[in-house]
Amino acid sequence: MAGETNQLRVRLVTPERTFFDRTATAVELPSKTGHFEVLYGHAPLLAELGAGDVTVHIAGGLESNSPDAARYNVSWGFVEVLPDRVTILASDALKPEEIDVPRAERQLERGQKMWLEAGESEEAYTEALRVISEAEAKIASASDARH
Amino acid sequence: MANVLDLRRRIRSVKNTRQITKAMKMVSAAKLRRAQERALAARPYARMISSVLQSLIRRVDIYDETTGNLRHPLFITRPEKRVLLVVISGDKGFAGAFNANILKTAYQFIAGNGDKEIDIEAVGRKARDLMRRRYPAAVYTEKTDEYGGKTMVREPRKGKVEVTGDYPGLLLNLETSRVMDLAHSIISRYVREEIDAAYIVYNEFKSVIQQRLVVEKLLPLLDIGSPQITGAVEPSAEERERAGEAALSAGIELEPVDTAEADEEAKKFGTANVDYIYEQPAEELFAGLLPQYIFAVLYHAMTESVAAEHAARMTAMDSATNNASEMIDSLTLYMNRVRQAAITKEIIEIVSGAAAL
Repeated sequence: MAGETNQLRVRLVTPERTFFDRTATAVELPSKTGHFEVLYGHAPLLAELGAGDVTVHIAGGLESNSPDAARYNVSWGFVEVLPDRVTILASDALKPEEIDVPRAERQLERGQKMWLEAGESEEAYTEALRVISEAEAKIASASDARH
Repeated sequence: MANVLDLRRRIRSVKNTRQITKAMKMVSAAKLRRAQERALAARPYARMISSVLQSLIRRVDIYDETTGNLRHPLFITRPEKRVLLVVISGDKGFAGAFNANILKTAYQFIAGNGDKEIDIEAVGRKARDLMRRRYPAAVYTEKTDEYGGKTMVREPRKGKVEVTGDYPGLLLNLETSRVMDLAHSIISRYVREEIDAAYIVYNEFKSVIQQRLVVEKLLPLLDIGSPQITGAVEPSAEERERAGEAALSAGIELEPVDTAEADEEAKKFGTANVDYIYEQPAEELFAGLLPQYIFAVLYHAMTESVAAEHAARMTAMDSATNNASEMIDSLTLYMNRVRQAAITKEIIEIVSGAAAL
């Protein structure tokens, strides 16, 4: 079914470098408004990504923990989906095993403190929520990798 | 007339200096190569961000159809009364006129905008040290508002020009998170109307022989994708030639690496000729993308400036090595002459002594 022609070209670009450029059968993306998955032939789409995991399924397997899937944690990103191509711009990308868990936990604490101190300022709340969700996504992604 | 021993000592000391400058030149060349690679690797991201923004602006009006408001506060333009200037210099000296030229351009900008209030953000240690010496630092005090929230309030200005921040060590590793912090701080100041415009002074670097000092307008956003250069200083032909010679002897490519294909590829991002589905409303897309764009412009300026700094140091050290070689040659010549004169004198003494017998 998944012939040569039904492959997506997936690129992940970070400010520092082009992280990878490969073909895949499917990509899972953490959009700001919820997770979604892209297969070959998807309608053109632009979306902002929130903190979470980008999972690239290389061949066949759709289990996110199968050896055929590669997972990367991103904290902010932007994605362009075309029928045969997916380009992800991410502010940074980490493999789950590269995540510094104690640091993420400290970030979570800092975020919670910011949230408590935000007072009436809406801006401060949004910023605190962003920090918290980033830290939570990192911790979740790292703990998934261990199991 | 100096004696032979003194001259020999001097030659030895100049030789030592030459060894050091030669080593520094090779180190700079290696660092330059790495900095060039980094600048190159950072390009796709910046291109993609600006092309997707361009296409978004083409497709979506920056004014909301129903309310008539601007979709993002960064699109507002105000008369320039308060200006932010980001000065990107090097961290270290021994780079010829590199730092001096950047600071000169910055001072010219300040002098040319004498009627405006100017805030300076100094990136790089040299800019920080010199700007601090020349202009007072802005003072902020913490104030508690009626809800118990703490805000930083700026004290009245001490002068027309003030230094509002510096970023020591930022250029060393160029961590993206710190550059992002700077971008956010500039944006929030613009949104709060603390500043009406923002400019960057830095050394643009395409290759060793293609570089110039530029003043680039960062905010307000008028035309995304094409840099708004408001002032540029090209190096003289002589300087360019010197830099070319230094690069050749250190094995650095003179021509910029051809990335036209990759650039074309990056330009296509978000610009395909189809109707995209926008997952989020345009306001949110702008709110997410514009800070990244500002970040990309700053990051680009910093990577190029770092490469230019290493190139300038390499050139300066190459000149120093050449000068040392010349000095050794002339000193050796002089030493030989002195030695010959001493021998001649001795022979004359012996001969005239013998003749007197």
